[in-house]
Amino acid sequence: MTEVLLAPARVLVTKIGLDGHDRGSRIIAAYLRDAGMEVIYTNPWQAIDAVVALALEEDVDVIGISSLATDHLLVPKLMVALDAAGLGHVRVVVGGIVPDEDEADLLSAGVSKVFHPGAVREEIVSVVEQLAIAANNERPVD
Amino acid sequence: MMNNIDKPTSTTGSDTQRAAFEAWQQNYDALIGEDTPVKNRSGIEVQPLYWPGGDPDGDYGDKLGFPGADPMTRGIYPTMHRGRTWSQRQLIGLGRPVDFNARIKKILASGASALSIIPCNSVYRGIDCDEVEPEILGTCGTIINTEEDMDICLADIPIDEISIGLNDPSPFTMLAQMLVVAEKRGIDWKKVTGTSNQSDYISHFVANHMFYRLSLQGARRVQLDTAAYLAEHVPNWNAFSIVGQHMQQAGATPAQAMGLTLSTAIQYAEDCKARGMEPEKFLERFTFFFDISISFFEEVAKFRAGRRIWNNLVTERFGVTNPRAKRFKFHAQTSGCDLTRQQPLNNIARVTVQAMAGILGGLQSMHTDGYDEVLSTPTEDSAKIAVSTQNILKHEAHLCDVIDPLGGSYYVESLTDAMEAEILDVIAQIDAEGGMFKAVESGFVQQLIGASALEFQDQVDSGEQIVVGVNAFAEDEDASARPTLKRPPKEHMEQQVERLKQNKAARDTDALTQALEGLRKAAQSEDTNIFAAEIDAIRAGATLGEIVKVLRDELGFGQPLVVA
Amino acid sequence: MQDQAAEKSGLAVRLLAGQTAALARAISIIDRDGQAVSALLKAIEPHLGRAVVVGFTGPPGAGKSTLVNAFIAEMRGRGKTVAVAAVDPSSPITGGAVLGDRIRMAEHTMDPGVFIRSLASRGHLGGLSASAARVADLMDAAGFDVIVLETVGAGQSEVEMAEMADVRIVVSAPGLGDDVQAIKAGILEIADILVVNKSDLPLAKRTVGQLQAMLALRAPGDWKVPVLTTNAVDRTGLCDLADAVDRRAAARKMKGPRNALGGRTRRLLAQSVAKYAEHRVLNEANATIDAVVADLQQAEIGLDDAIEKILMQLCESQKNG
Repeated sequence: MTEVLLAPARVLVTKIGLDGHDRGSRIIAAYLRDAGMEVIYTNPWQAIDAVVALALEEDVDVIGISSLATDHLLVPKLMVALDAAGLGHVRVVVGGIVPDEDEADLLSAGVSKVFHPGAVREEIVSVVEQLAIAANNERPVD
Repeated sequence: MMNNIDKPTSTTGSDTQRAAFEAWQQNYDALIGEDTPVKNRSGIEVQPLYWPGGDPDGDYGDKLGFPGADPMTRGIYPTMHRGRTWSQRQLIGLGRPVDFNARIKKILASGASALSIIPCNSVYRGIDCDEVEPEILGTCGTIINTEEDMDICLADIPIDEISIGLNDPSPFTMLAQMLVVAEKRGIDWKKVTGTSNQSDYISHFVANHMFYRLSLQGARRVQLDTAAYLAEHVPNWNAFSIVGQHMQQAGATPAQAMGLTLSTAIQYAEDCKARGMEPEKFLERFTFFFDISISFFEEVAKFRAGRRIWNNLVTERFGVTNPRAKRFKFHAQTSGCDLTRQQPLNNIARVTVQAMAGILGGLQSMHTDGYDEVLSTPTEDSAKIAVSTQNILKHEAHLCDVIDPLGGSYYVESLTDAMEAEILDVIAQIDAEGGMFKAVESGFVQQLIGASALEFQDQVDSGEQIVVGVNAFAEDEDASARPTLKRPPKEHMEQQVERLKQNKAARDTDALTQALEGLRKAAQSEDTNIFAAEIDAIRAGATLGEIVKVLRDELGFGQPLVVA
Repeated sequence: MQDQAAEKSGLAVRLLAGQTAALARAISIIDRDGQAVSALLKAIEPHLGRAVVVGFTGPPGAGKSTLVNAFIAEMRGRGKTVAVAAVDPSSPITGGAVLGDRIRMAEHTMDPGVFIRSLASRGHLGGLSASAARVADLMDAAGFDVIVLETVGAGQSEVEMAEMADVRIVVSAPGLGDDVQAIKAGILEIADILVVNKSDLPLAKRTVGQLQAMLALRAPGDWKVPVLTTNAVDRTGLCDLADAVDRRAAARKMKGPRNALGGRTRRLLAQSVAKYAEHRVLNEANATIDAVVADLQQAEIGLDDAIEKILMQLCESQKNG
């Protein structure tokens, strides 16, 4: 088990569902880049199977979903799809506007962390770093 | 009281000013109707307007003037809110059309004087409800896919008497649906008033991707076709709602947001002119939509500067003399970006301050956010408080008694000038890029906004900008402090989808195919009006999704340029 | 060790079978040193040489990503599979990067015949081209017909990466401020095809003219560099571009048998050796080299002899500084 990554963490920052606001996801991308990570940044409205395809091709460690409306309700479907594609080791975090009831559902569906408005840079970066290390440790041996 | 005004014979500043004041007074008297004197609690009579009384060496006339006259800084009408208060135009959107209709009737009964329909996010994407994952249907707005849906939304609502705001991006399907509904009800289109709210396709491309449906070039074509059609057939409809809110919410500073919005307006005006339309006419139909942040004085100054700049700009660049075409009419919404998830009741105070800035800034129409805006679609209770806030400011705080009451404040005048300089600088930068269309194509605008967004975030992160309850004065909270939200019951959405399917099945397929083919041809040819073809398609029963699909095929979807 | 090698060859087996996850994983580990990686590279070596590598570079704002997107569609239309390596610079300060090139290639995400990978330069600097060469080899071994290497800019590393490609395309667009000055001399020298994108813009013709004038100054070779116009948005000019790419690739392949064996690595090595020698001969304070120069200048020795003497000297002496 490593405590450190051999290469920069690779994080997919994307949006699913219908919402198109991206102020938050652009700021997160900047945070992660400033912390030495590689951010694969996409346009909004990604279908679930597109996110899986992206995660596969880009061999990412963490997926960050930005959700402002109710699009987070689709994340449990994403978790199932990731598992089915052999990407169970990839960690998923959700950031944005997530009501408390829904947060519990997301966590039990396997989401690692839900960030709410007001979450600070240090916390976000630290959590994502830890998750990337965990993802790497769990990556199936080739 | 009417004064007999002699024409000014002297050329001294004082006399010219006095003459201008008298002219304003005349207009005011003519428009105000019955003007009972207003007295405050201490018995002091409060005049509609205050000015220095004479400003021989100063620039009062150049920079401020009187309401409704050049340069419009103090207001676009002689009477402003003392004569007619702003429209309470609350955004409403709920699950099914029938639910929307019920809510809108309540809101109108409680004092709102105008409507603003918010459709479901799926509608913004241009997709019919039968093609969307059911979990996310109807959670943020009303599902309006067909003319029948629109008819139900507006059941018993007098379309010819109420001003209607449709939050309806290109190709303005909701408007087309509403016009067909009006037609079926025997309502003359000339009586239909309202605005294609947030119809600004450039701002969708740059900032509010939620509304983005067609490629930049495609949206440009549709906008001009629609404007031309409306100018002829629905002359009291505002086709242009040019949006500063999206960019400010994406992170632009208030000055940048105003500058970029005015640059967009210039671009649209030039496009209309190139199309052969008359500035004196089409500029009357330009309206604006702004964010109101909690930076109180900055927002007031922003709006005052905006009025002045627009007035001068249309005179200089388009040679406009018709005063109606110089009016900087705007709707504004209190900024959800300033509201917090933590200690949400604090947001009521925030919205109050934002609303005050909008009122004192001279807006024509306003939406106030519910305090739970950051948590979900507003509950009925929070929506009521939002409307009450406006009523309290109007009736109890008497914010409407004086026109431009902050005018003459050393700070506010100085700040107005400073904001004007910043705004003009932004406009100059966009001019240098070759205009707004080019500047957004190249990503220049997006980078500008992104940099400001990051800078503001840094200020919050570092604590330089305090946000109460978030990075200061924070408390441990339990979830019970936050209201529980309601989502439309699953059965309702299933019903809606079922209705759509039945609706589709019951149509005359020949007529529909023909009409959609007509729409396709219109998009392919430069000479046929797309909006006219769209109305025909609606008459033949076409749905939103079908119309958007045809236009995407022909005009392209592109990708909103997302500069990381 | 043996186990690791065996594991890695399991990876190789799956990669050679065209498995997406295997290719993705291999790309992630290819920069690391060690037995595992060299086992992988050995395993794929016999399967190289089929793919054509097409390099796209040019200044920012030229619409490269949109053009690549259209190029992918054109290739798919011709029944070719395409792998894309889109390279963006890492921050020299933080080492991180925001990789957004694939935004403009979103239409191909679900196409199993297209593989897109976003890569950060990771401070490889001079070594970036070696890394990119390995990635291209992996994609070649995975069975893709066309490999697109997309880089931004026209600086040193871009020139090196471009040299690795079989077909080198430099994309510019009218009115980019500096116009063609944005295309620095180095990259222009090695370009196979020049493309003026955004051909609908009024200044497009002028940009074409400027480029043709610059080409006239180039040393003539056996390939005439075409200046093509494209509009990546409505996809005009893509057919001609694809045809030109085909022609150039064919011409390059015919150039020599050794080209096929370790082709792009060989080419990279050749260029690097040449640069190394050039640098030392031009800059090093070395009495022996000076003497050879003097002899050659005064016709005391012939050129062939001079070359041999220089090479021996370079091997014997240490690099200065």
